[in-house]
Amino acid sequence: MADLQLVDVSLRDGNQSLWGAAGLRTAHVAQIAPVMNRAGFRALDFSSSTAMGMSVRRHREDPWDLLRLARRAMPDTLLQFIGTGFRFISWEKAHPEVMELVYRTLVNNGMDRFVVLDPTHDMDAVRATARIIKRAGGTGTEVIAALTYTISAVHDDAFYASIAGQVAACPDIDRAYVKDPAGILTPERARTLIPAVLASLGGKPLELHAHASLGLSPLTCLAAAELGVAVLQVGCGALGNGTSLPDAERLIANLRASGHAVDVDDRLVALIARYFDGVAEAEGLPPGRPREFDAAFMHHQVAGGVMTTLRRQLSELGMEDRFGEVMDEIARVRAELGHPIMVTPFPQMVIGQALANVAGGGRRYDQVPDQVIRYVLGSFGKPTAPVDPGVLDRILSRPRARELAAEPPPPSVAELRHRFGERICDEELLLRFGMPGEEVDAMLAAGPAVTHYNPDTQPVLRLLRELGSRPAPAELTVDKPGFRLTLRGGDRA
Amino acid sequence: MELTNEDVADILAALDSLPYDELDLRTPRFRLTLRRAPGGGWTEESQVLADPVALAPAHPHRAPGAGEGRGAGAEAGTGAGEAGTGAAAEAAAGAGAEAAAGEGRAGSGRAGLAAVAAPLPGTFYRAPRPGAAPFVEVGDEVGEDTVVAIVETMKLMNSVHAGTRGRVAEICLGNGEFAAQGATLMLILPAGAGRPAGPPA
Amino acid sequence: MSFRRILVANRGEIAARVIRTCRRLGIETVLTVSDADTRSLPARLADKTIRIGPAPAPASYLDVDAVVGAALAAGADAVHPGYGFLSENPLLARACAAAGVAFIGPSAETLVSTGDKLAAREHAVAAGLPVLPGAEVTGAEAGRLADQIGYPVLVKAAGGGGGRGLRVVRDPADLAHAAAVASAEAGAAFGDPRVYLERYVSPARHVEVQLLGDGEQVIHLGDRDCSVQRRYQKLVEEAPAPLLGDDLRDGLRAAAVALGERLRYRGAGTVEFLVDPRRGAFYFLEVNARIQVEHPVTEAITGLDLVAEQIAIAEGRRLRLRQEDVTFTGHAIECRVNAEDPAAGFLPSPGTVTRAVFPAGARVDTHVQAGSAVPPHYDSLLAKVVARGAGRGAALRRLAGALERCAIDGVVTNLGLHRALLADGEFAAGGVDTGYLERLLARESARAVRENGSRHYTGSGVGHG
Repeated sequence: MADLQLVDVSLRDGNQSLWGAAGLRTAHVAQIAPVMNRAGFRALDFSSSTAMGMSVRRHREDPWDLLRLARRAMPDTLLQFIGTGFRFISWEKAHPEVMELVYRTLVNNGMDRFVVLDPTHDMDAVRATARIIKRAGGTGTEVIAALTYTISAVHDDAFYASIAGQVAACPDIDRAYVKDPAGILTPERARTLIPAVLASLGGKPLELHAHASLGLSPLTCLAAAELGVAVLQVGCGALGNGTSLPDAERLIANLRASGHAVDVDDRLVALIARYFDGVAEAEGLPPGRPREFDAAFMHHQVAGGVMTTLRRQLSELGMEDRFGEVMDEIARVRAELGHPIMVTPFPQMVIGQALANVAGGGRRYDQVPDQVIRYVLGSFGKPTAPVDPGVLDRILSRPRARELAAEPPPPSVAELRHRFGERICDEELLLRFGMPGEEVDAMLAAGPAVTHYNPDTQPVLRLLRELGSRPAPAELTVDKPGFRLTLRGGDRA
Repeated sequence: MELTNEDVADILAALDSLPYDELDLRTPRFRLTLRRAPGGGWTEESQVLADPVALAPAHPHRAPGAGEGRGAGAEAGTGAGEAGTGAAAEAAAGAGAEAAAGEGRAGSGRAGLAAVAAPLPGTFYRAPRPGAAPFVEVGDEVGEDTVVAIVETMKLMNSVHAGTRGRVAEICLGNGEFAAQGATLMLILPAGAGRPAGPPA
Repeated sequence: MSFRRILVANRGEIAARVIRTCRRLGIETVLTVSDADTRSLPARLADKTIRIGPAPAPASYLDVDAVVGAALAAGADAVHPGYGFLSENPLLARACAAAGVAFIGPSAETLVSTGDKLAAREHAVAAGLPVLPGAEVTGAEAGRLADQIGYPVLVKAAGGGGGRGLRVVRDPADLAHAAAVASAEAGAAFGDPRVYLERYVSPARHVEVQLLGDGEQVIHLGDRDCSVQRRYQKLVEEAPAPLLGDDLRDGLRAAAVALGERLRYRGAGTVEFLVDPRRGAFYFLEVNARIQVEHPVTEAITGLDLVAEQIAIAEGRRLRLRQEDVTFTGHAIECRVNAEDPAAGFLPSPGTVTRAVFPAGARVDTHVQAGSAVPPHYDSLLAKVVARGAGRGAALRRLAGALERCAIDGVVTNLGLHRALLADGEFAAGGVDTGYLERLLARESARAVRENGSRHYTGSGVGHG
């Protein structure tokens, strides 16, 4: 039976899927980092544009400091950054020079594994980004191309095999992973897809990153282990399961029960899982829980959160009764736009257009949001399948389309230095490029982040802080499972 | 809960501006008392209450049985480590200690005695019921099928047979002690053999 | 290589200290315990404990077979020997290597070089370090050698160290006898009867430099001043050493690194120097190839965890810091709170601690809490109280305030002496020499006589001092 390695995604994808990318602060990560380093994970999914922006915006903490701190604490584990290669924090496309600076700065601060995620599978763009990363990081840097899984007429095994073939041929890409953001890859499909991909991958390793949103991926991972996948991606404790990735402890046990070897330190994996459980409990964050299979989702692939938002929007427009019509329109628009994979930002884009088409009253594509125009202009990469010619024509003939096409190119590094100042370091320059200045200023003013955290003291600290804001009783005892706290005032001998 | 210096500093920071002079925090493993000091600042009085968890000891200076002793200790130690905290660790450690102890008493220079081994891990009982007379005492004659003890595993009583015709030479575990699978419960001097070499335990 | 489980082969406060870092890193700890320490505070902090023998150290903490046997029985990947006991014993280092267990410390070869104080002196000379005039003596030439060096002269044991096996000879008539007695004592205590003579410098300051090496690269982590000593036992230490000229300080640090490089030092170690404040000169004394009691003051001003660095080096990693990455901020001072009675000639005071109160928010490295035994078999160190400030004055004030909030009941302590010391003008001025503590004790005695009519120093730490 095979030896499997694991990549843990708790810190980035777990945090993003379950806690809006906002649950974890520097302190949470710093505390557990030395332990995560020793657990035996091959790599950690550590950061992304979204995560870095959230650090600054929400927590007023420097994501570069966090990266350096993590690098120091985790010398034996690859730290991964995931990105499309087009943008950094801001939604706007960045100049290639700026992207090069992004990758170089990430490498200099300790990032050593990069996922190039292009849901449209525009391999020219992927190759270009891979080249930039290798130039920035050299041979010590690992580059992974993502094969994003979806169900559609065009995304068949042959399609993915051809992507794999291009990965095999590209000297700047080291390995690939099948990315299943919706959690819809069934074991049955995996049994044809994975061999097809491996056959064309030219011996490069293949990993599987499958969300547990439909309760399928724990089983699909087991199937994948039999089929030659080298690495499975997991989440620990409260940051696993649910819409995150399969729970690490459970998957490890299942792999071993199936005869596979997984060389991790079980004691430490448990410690890490319990720690994240503690963080979730202390911070009031929802832990990932096993999910049930939803056959309708397999069909429309609109994520739960997006679906909730859609229903609310329909309700606000007084259109709840037209829900079915909207769902049909979503399928139609998706096909016309060349089958974008339903991964952010595409679900919002497709749904936005579908709503516009149904609610508008006039003809379809009378209203077209900017995002859709940019999409067909190729700002998000070359669409996987061609956009329906009729629809393309209607969209591009809009005056707004001409405006957007004529938008000036994004600023170069020189222009950014001129705008923000020659003296500031690259790290700050890139943050100012991607975010409003006030947010960066606020982060810098907040000073260095706290780097220790104990989930067990949080209830005590919270209570003490609350007591500061209201009249406090002279004596107070709090009895909770696990601790008893007494506070006394006045003179004590 | 284990508190570090930084944890205490966090608690102090939140506590200092409140009108309290004393904070007392208790968990099963730990007790912390912070008191405002007359000259300013706070004092800390803390106690780690958690009990030490002992591994089976190593016996590096023992005679020929020594290797087995260390091995048993090693297995107990490693087993305990892999099993982690809690009952499994203590059971394994206990088993290792028992095995080492049993072999220590019986092993060195006591060739010629037949060991009666525990068929399953469990609690060793010398009598059929609490308060009843023991099945055997040292010196009693036994046949192969004589029931000499019970090992109770998860509420199931397993009879232990002598397995050898002879006399009970030594009872190696105390009544009610835990026996690992295969642990030596007692030693039988087989009928027809000479007296054992060496002094009795 | 990553250690999953470390055998902590020591006791007392350093055992608790090592366990604390291992917890933070996720490394499992198994603590060796003698019968006297089975329920100690470190025993409660460790993941597991393993008995290595009865209370007397030679049968437990000093028993190489017991320690290595414990490492194997516990399935440990490495042994951390702490300080004292077997921490610098090449036999333990070799036995660990033979058993396939990592020894968290320098190589056995280095330990041999540094443990033999004469050999260490030779290495120092070869590395270009200044040494005090001196040489090994064998009987007859002692007098001639001492004449060359000049009186007073210090007779030292080659196998000694840490302040043991030293005697001062001021009168040439006493030399032969002193050397003979020293040799006999050394033979009994260290198994090595060799003695050597060195010029005795007074006043002198004791300044040491902390090193970190990975077998190829060596860096320093600054200096410490340990001049507050009584009979060569340190009582108060601080970092950085105060009132040293920049040239002298740079010279000390460079010398220490040069010696470390010559030894291809691996691990944490300290090079001790004697500083002659009158001449502004320094001389090599010895190398301590282990982590030291006073390491917290270095941690306080560098922000580093020395135990974590030791572990990383023992795991085979290169030094993760370059010299330029090491920064020094502020000043730190440490007091060693011992179970001893300064009023009774510093008689050790073993017993049971009934209450232990410490300053909240300060760094206190201790092994005692209410109920802790202070066994008579080991050293008397109860706790180290460390305070840090932006400058020496701030650190001193903070430490004095911290000691005000210490109270240990059940055994006699030297807290009163520490309080007197921190209030003393001479100490406040900084840069004291190794004769300082005796002067302070004399002053305090005289004051006690004036105030209480008692001839003896009465400062003690019993109750709320």
